[in-house]
Amino acid sequence: MIAALQDYWAQRGAVIMQPYHTELGAGTSNPATFLRVLDPSQKEWRAAYVEPVIRPTDGRYGENPFRFQHYFQYQVILKPAPEDVLDQYFGSLHALGIDLRRHDIRLVEDDWEQPTLGAWGLGWEVWCDAMEVTQFTYFQQLGGIDLEVIPAEMTYGLERLALFLQGKKSVFDLEWAPGVTWGDVYRENERQWSRYNYEEAPVDVLERRFDEHEAEAEELLDKGLPLPAYDQVLKSSHAFNLLDARGALSVTERAAYIGRVRKLARRFAQLYVGADGDAPD
Amino acid sequence: MATLLIEIGCEELPAAACHEALGQLPELCRHVLGAKPSRVLVTPRRLAVLVEDVPERTPDKWVKGPPVKVAEQAAAGFAKRHGIAVEELETRDGFLGVEVPGRLLAEVLPEKLDTILRGLSFSKTMRWNGGGLRFPRPLRWTLAMVDADRIMGDGSYGHRFTSGAIAVPEASAYLDVLRGADVEPDAEERRRQIVEALDAVGGWSDPNGVLEEVVFLVEHPVVIDGRFDDRYLQLPSRVIEMTIQTHVRAFPLGENRFAFVANGGEPETVRAGVENVVEGRLEDASFTFERDVKVGIDALAEHLGSITFFAGAGSFADKTERLAKLVQALGGGEAALEAARLAKADQASELVREFPELEGHVGAEYARLAGYPEAVSAAIDEQYLPDGAAAPLPQTETGRVLSAADKIDTLNVSFGLGQRPTGSRDPYGLRRAAIGLDRLATEGKLAIPRSLMASEVGEFVEERFEGLLDVPVEYVRAARRASVRDLGGVARLAEALATLPDERFGPIHTAYTRAARLAEKEEGAEAELDPALLLEPAEVEVAQALERVDPEIAAALDAGDFGAAVEAAAELGPLLDKFFEDVLVVADDRAVRANRLRLLLSVRDTLGRLGELSQIPRS
Repeated sequence: MIAALQDYWAQRGAVIMQPYHTELGAGTSNPATFLRVLDPSQKEWRAAYVEPVIRPTDGRYGENPFRFQHYFQYQVILKPAPEDVLDQYFGSLHALGIDLRRHDIRLVEDDWEQPTLGAWGLGWEVWCDAMEVTQFTYFQQLGGIDLEVIPAEMTYGLERLALFLQGKKSVFDLEWAPGVTWGDVYRENERQWSRYNYEEAPVDVLERRFDEHEAEAEELLDKGLPLPAYDQVLKSSHAFNLLDARGALSVTERAAYIGRVRKLARRFAQLYVGADGDAPD
Repeated sequence: MATLLIEIGCEELPAAACHEALGQLPELCRHVLGAKPSRVLVTPRRLAVLVEDVPERTPDKWVKGPPVKVAEQAAAGFAKRHGIAVEELETRDGFLGVEVPGRLLAEVLPEKLDTILRGLSFSKTMRWNGGGLRFPRPLRWTLAMVDADRIMGDGSYGHRFTSGAIAVPEASAYLDVLRGADVEPDAEERRRQIVEALDAVGGWSDPNGVLEEVVFLVEHPVVIDGRFDDRYLQLPSRVIEMTIQTHVRAFPLGENRFAFVANGGEPETVRAGVENVVEGRLEDASFTFERDVKVGIDALAEHLGSITFFAGAGSFADKTERLAKLVQALGGGEAALEAARLAKADQASELVREFPELEGHVGAEYARLAGYPEAVSAAIDEQYLPDGAAAPLPQTETGRVLSAADKIDTLNVSFGLGQRPTGSRDPYGLRRAAIGLDRLATEGKLAIPRSLMASEVGEFVEERFEGLLDVPVEYVRAARRASVRDLGGVARLAEALATLPDERFGPIHTAYTRAARLAEKEEGAEAELDPALLLEPAEVEVAQALERVDPEIAAALDAGDFGAAVEAAAELGPLLDKFFEDVLVVADDRAVRANRLRLLLSVRDTLGRLGELSQIPRS
């Protein structure tokens, strides 16, 4: 499935990228999307990659067949969004072996917003026989900044898509490889990480780490190094997600943390966009 | 005369945008094209209008220039602006001018189309890489035809997956061509087809109102019925309905059946897929439900201390305590108290976190499963009713008590924190809560002491009667100043005042107004009435009547017999008429005058038990 998508998008000029090296809550945060889309000097960019996403509060101890603290997205970013972007997308479903005429496929309004990144866009959930298989978004704003060139982002939920393709009812039963199920590979992982996320992650250490990542990001931004600073923003965001999962934050504390991440992201975005010459091309 | 077709092709528009376009296109086209469209056809992928009998030219237009009198100074400039020689200017009614010939429709259509596109206003728009226009979703094609002439665009597109580019031979063939390409362009017709198919399946319902969205999710509706495994019927029915409606936009058919409106595909394949998705979602909900049930409603209630109700107003545990006190003050019995204790427990449940709209229902179900009496769970279920202007009230007495307590607390807390609704902004639904309280007091006949509401809240809640009751607002305003204990009394008093015939209401209204005005202006009223100083028979009669009537009115108000209170007051009318005719209040003798003023003050106070009658205008 992944190979088919890689192949399909590579043929359409996408750079095939790899997952990022730190915990991300969504493929959007991977620099291959976020930074390239944000960068006004980058007029054109096409990329596709698998991203394992880490969402501590979605863990269910491997007991719920649809909720996981770790799963896979397939991310495609096309900047600028071509006129036939939807046709290209539907072509990718066809390439995965979905007969578009046999199924009920539709686009259901679903707008996307990520306040911690000062980002929003408009788009759809793509339904195949009512199964949500992709999130499609036309970004409008990132890091609190209006985008000049509008990109299209497609985030395929790989497990969901596989449920659909394999006609299975539980993600654990998905065939990962012949004779090996998704559950064989990841169930124990879900159990242990859920326990860590909800029960064992050390709150004081995480609080300290958040402060450290935040301070380091600020410092790097001061020194005009937005790229390393961005990693620190991601790491502080992950520390916050863990604190949230641990239930260690009151409502006001939670809002304060979100505000701090947002402020960092905004400052980063402004520096990054302003520092045209330093941005990668 | 010709037939005009304009089609604007889009990527899938949100249903709300379709509704907005459908509402605006007729008037916008009339304004821009000079004729109302005979058909406005909206699907998620197209906004189209057909206009029959359009003139093929725009009308000639007379442009008025300067008056003939000042032709010498102004004619040259005017003629130059219109690109003609001064000699070519015509004269009409003493003015120079020029007849600008109309243009071919085909020629002006592109700019007209642009005006239409820019004239549509949507609540949510986006940019794409298609020029400066903002629209709900990207525009992908336009087609404009006058009869068989294509003015703009090459053709249209049929169903996204079963058809492709299609040719439209002439404007009037548009509907048939699209129908042949698996698209029903008329929203009304799609709705009719969907409803007809749902009726044929039978027993469908739409508790969350998704039909209006579904009409704009499909171009080619095909209704497919499906079922899910019986074991999910253990879930509360509202959870099942909500899952089916919000996640799949399908319609519950009762038991384990539902109907899904597809946009095409093979029914067998689509059915299997949708059933799978529904079961997956129900499995998800069951997982959450079972975990909650294992914890149990009593233990959930213990967790409320850690959940904030309203920033600055403590936790849900604090709210629960206040609810218990209010329920007691509202005369609630043991079941209502128990319901108050458990009312907010579901805020700690995982299922409500997943389905916030089901607060109350979830708690009720958990209370039932824990073996609480039906009165308790019914009250928990109904605590948020009425949740709309025409929504039903709680059916049970305990439900009404709990619902009133919840609304009073929310209003008191919100107003206390300065969160008053302003203009159209009412994020906490305080207007709805206030109207709910009014309806509980009137339709629900619940005795709600006015003293339970903070004074600002009381004002706000009672102001809502002005829109709710079928009496002129002034009667409500007058009654609000009456010494009435219960909220419902204000409404009934206003109605009693409004039903009193004019000839009976007139005298007491006049007396109250005059007495209030005189007593206000004149100083030196005695503290006590001195019967010995009552000289005229008319004032003696008034004084005697007052002594009898005043306690009568007070007693009637206490008993909630507003008709009797108003009747009793009306008895004073003729006596007061006579009094004002025969008696000079501002008598020369200071003592007599002070005594008469005292008498008038008593008249005002007695009639004032019925409210500030001077609020009511009289011709």
